Amino acid sequence: MGVTIAFWLLAIMCIISALAVVLGRNIFRAALLLALLFFSVAGLYIILNADFLAAVQVLIYVGAVAILVLLAIMLTRDVTAGGALNKFRLPALIFSLLLVMALVYSVLSTPWQISPQAPLETTTAALGEKLFGEGGFILPVEVAAVLLLASALGAIVLVKEKDGKWKSG
Amino acid sequence: MVSAGLALSLWSGEVATAFNGMLVLDGPALFFKFLFVVSAGLVILSSADYVRRFQRFQGEYYALILLSATGMMLMAATRELLSIYVSLELTSISLYVLAGFLKDEKSSEAGLKYLLLGAIASAVLLYGMALVFGITGTTSLAAIAERISALSLSGLAGTPALLMGVILIVAGLGFKIASVPFQMWVPDVYEGAPTPVTAYLSVASKAAGFAVLMRVFFTAFGPPLEIGASWGLLLAVLSLLTMTVGNVAAIAQTNIKRMLGYSSISHAGYLIVGVAAMGLGSAADVWSRSSVLFFLASYTFANLGAFTAIIAISNKTGSDEISDFSGMAKRAPVLTLGMSLCLLSLLGLPPTAGLIAKVYIFNAAVHQGLMWLVVAAVINSVISAFYYMRVVRIMWLGTPSSEEKVPSSGALRAALVISCLGVLLLGILPGVFIRLAEAAVKMFAS
Amino acid sequence: MEIGLTHFLTLSAVLFGIGLFGALTKRHAIAILMCIEIMLNAVNISMVAFSRWVAPVDLTGQVFAIFIIVVAAAEAAVGLAIVMSIYRARQSVEVDKADLLKG
Repeated sequence: MGVTIAFWLLAIMCIISALAVVLGRNIFRAALLLALLFFSVAGLYIILNADFLAAVQVLIYVGAVAILVLLAIMLTRDVTAGGALNKFRLPALIFSLLLVMALVYSVLSTPWQISPQAPLETTTAALGEKLFGEGGFILPVEVAAVLLLASALGAIVLVKEKDGKWKSG
Repeated sequence: MVSAGLALSLWSGEVATAFNGMLVLDGPALFFKFLFVVSAGLVILSSADYVRRFQRFQGEYYALILLSATGMMLMAATRELLSIYVSLELTSISLYVLAGFLKDEKSSEAGLKYLLLGAIASAVLLYGMALVFGITGTTSLAAIAERISALSLSGLAGTPALLMGVILIVAGLGFKIASVPFQMWVPDVYEGAPTPVTAYLSVASKAAGFAVLMRVFFTAFGPPLEIGASWGLLLAVLSLLTMTVGNVAAIAQTNIKRMLGYSSISHAGYLIVGVAAMGLGSAADVWSRSSVLFFLASYTFANLGAFTAIIAISNKTGSDEISDFSGMAKRAPVLTLGMSLCLLSLLGLPPTAGLIAKVYIFNAAVHQGLMWLVVAAVINSVISAFYYMRVVRIMWLGTPSSEEKVPSSGALRAALVISCLGVLLLGILPGVFIRLAEAAVKMFAS
Repeated sequence: MEIGLTHFLTLSAVLFGIGLFGALTKRHAIAILMCIEIMLNAVNISMVAFSRWVAPVDLTGQVFAIFIIVVAAAEAAVGLAIVMSIYRARQSVEVDKADLLKG
């Protein structure tokens, strides 16, 4: 029963904050609501027995991405311009609605193979084993390391001024 | 170049795997690795003049090109959804930065647009992967194929989620190969990005997309399964839309980079013809797969050659407008000759590789009963003659705006000569290379 | 009513649609990036829900979600860096001239 209430609460929070991000006029407020959305998703992960992932979600999304977005908004000083929508409003709305309907239909009418096994209680150790252990996902871990190098390199190249000085404000 | 030689020497070798079978070294993987090494090498050669425009970060420029080439090689060699996704993002993120490398208004905007649409496309791709994972409970392509056949599905209609997953994966990968519905980034990004990066995007990034498309669809949803016919038809329709959109829009262009952008969209359309034939054919049908490989090789050389010539000419004139190429035959005869040859190959005239590639890929499609698609593709090729020949005519018959010669560095000329040699070699001695491509796809490890 | 797989999947589909609509219609580059983050979170909800019900002990879905988070963070960093460089070039981050849907 508790799970049911928690799910509906979090789901409603997710959808309301997502709608507010998309439809809101003030981009600063939208960024804060995005952080709320990230928090609700972390709550959903806890319902789904993904405790480690919930922690990662809070640390990276709320702690890093949301802050990064806020910083970028402040640095570009374009706080109020975030509300405007372009002229593709109607086709985009129709397309998105159709896609959602198709997705919901296909999700509801597919016979999913539900596994009878109970989920793990704590996932951290098992995830570590899955990532680095025998038969695990060590290849993507290594590729992701190179990816982070590439993105750090790229971000520095792009943000540094042409004359080599750091951009201020 | 050393690694290219190494790759060639491995050509006839055994199929090898690493990382619990996540990474595989088979024929197609080797072929694509070789293609990426060659195109990255040619792009680096042709950048030699261009990098002077960046006051700083010339080293980082080459580093990012090599990093994205690494990502592409991994894309061609992994057979597991998670690794494919991560290597695809390694490629993309490096390319986003490269597209915005000039940091002026146009280039930054190209980088931004490329990144935003690329991120949307990868979200779509991920949703498709999530649905496929939900149905099969695994991310390994071979295991996905086993599960799907174990479910004994009669076509995609039995599980709509699988159909949605396949559609979303096609749409997401469509961004990399620049097919409809994710083609709208192409002209703006091609125009704004530094020209060597544009060349790289149009060739290597597209080939990497096809490498993943072929591996995912051949290994996971491939011909032994009955769903092959469903996505084969889906791709056939997509291919018709893509080539028509590309060709019709290309006619009206006045900027040569935009024109080649639309032309690369239409070439994505021709290439999808081969992938669609792969879906409709049986697993033993070698032609459809090897024809895609051969077409990619021929397209790579022709497009890189054309862009190399453009880099040299627009370095001098400072403009990418087609009208400024007027009379280039008098100012830069060698560059013009090379560029004309490459444009003729893109159009598909003898004695170039383009003709053989088109005949080969259309032949594979006819064998799978896609006659209507081939007729449409031939009509499209005729339309494309219009804009390719216009450029060739302006360059040879137009009046030059000045008598000044166009200078070019040795590295750039070397890149152009290698490309043209590739175009001619594939065109005059196609048998050798077709046999190589066929040998490569026979080694498709499942 | 027991909360099951389909509840989460439906929520994920709706969030994905909202994010897609925003990403296609917003004009502010940072707002588009935020909408893309919504889409990626929607995908993650699906992944983790599949992991919970389809392969509960295997955890592959959760591993996938971790990688999506990592890549999304890297992408956001590069995206915001490009936004900074475009802002410096013309003092605005509207994507008006380059409307995303215009070819």
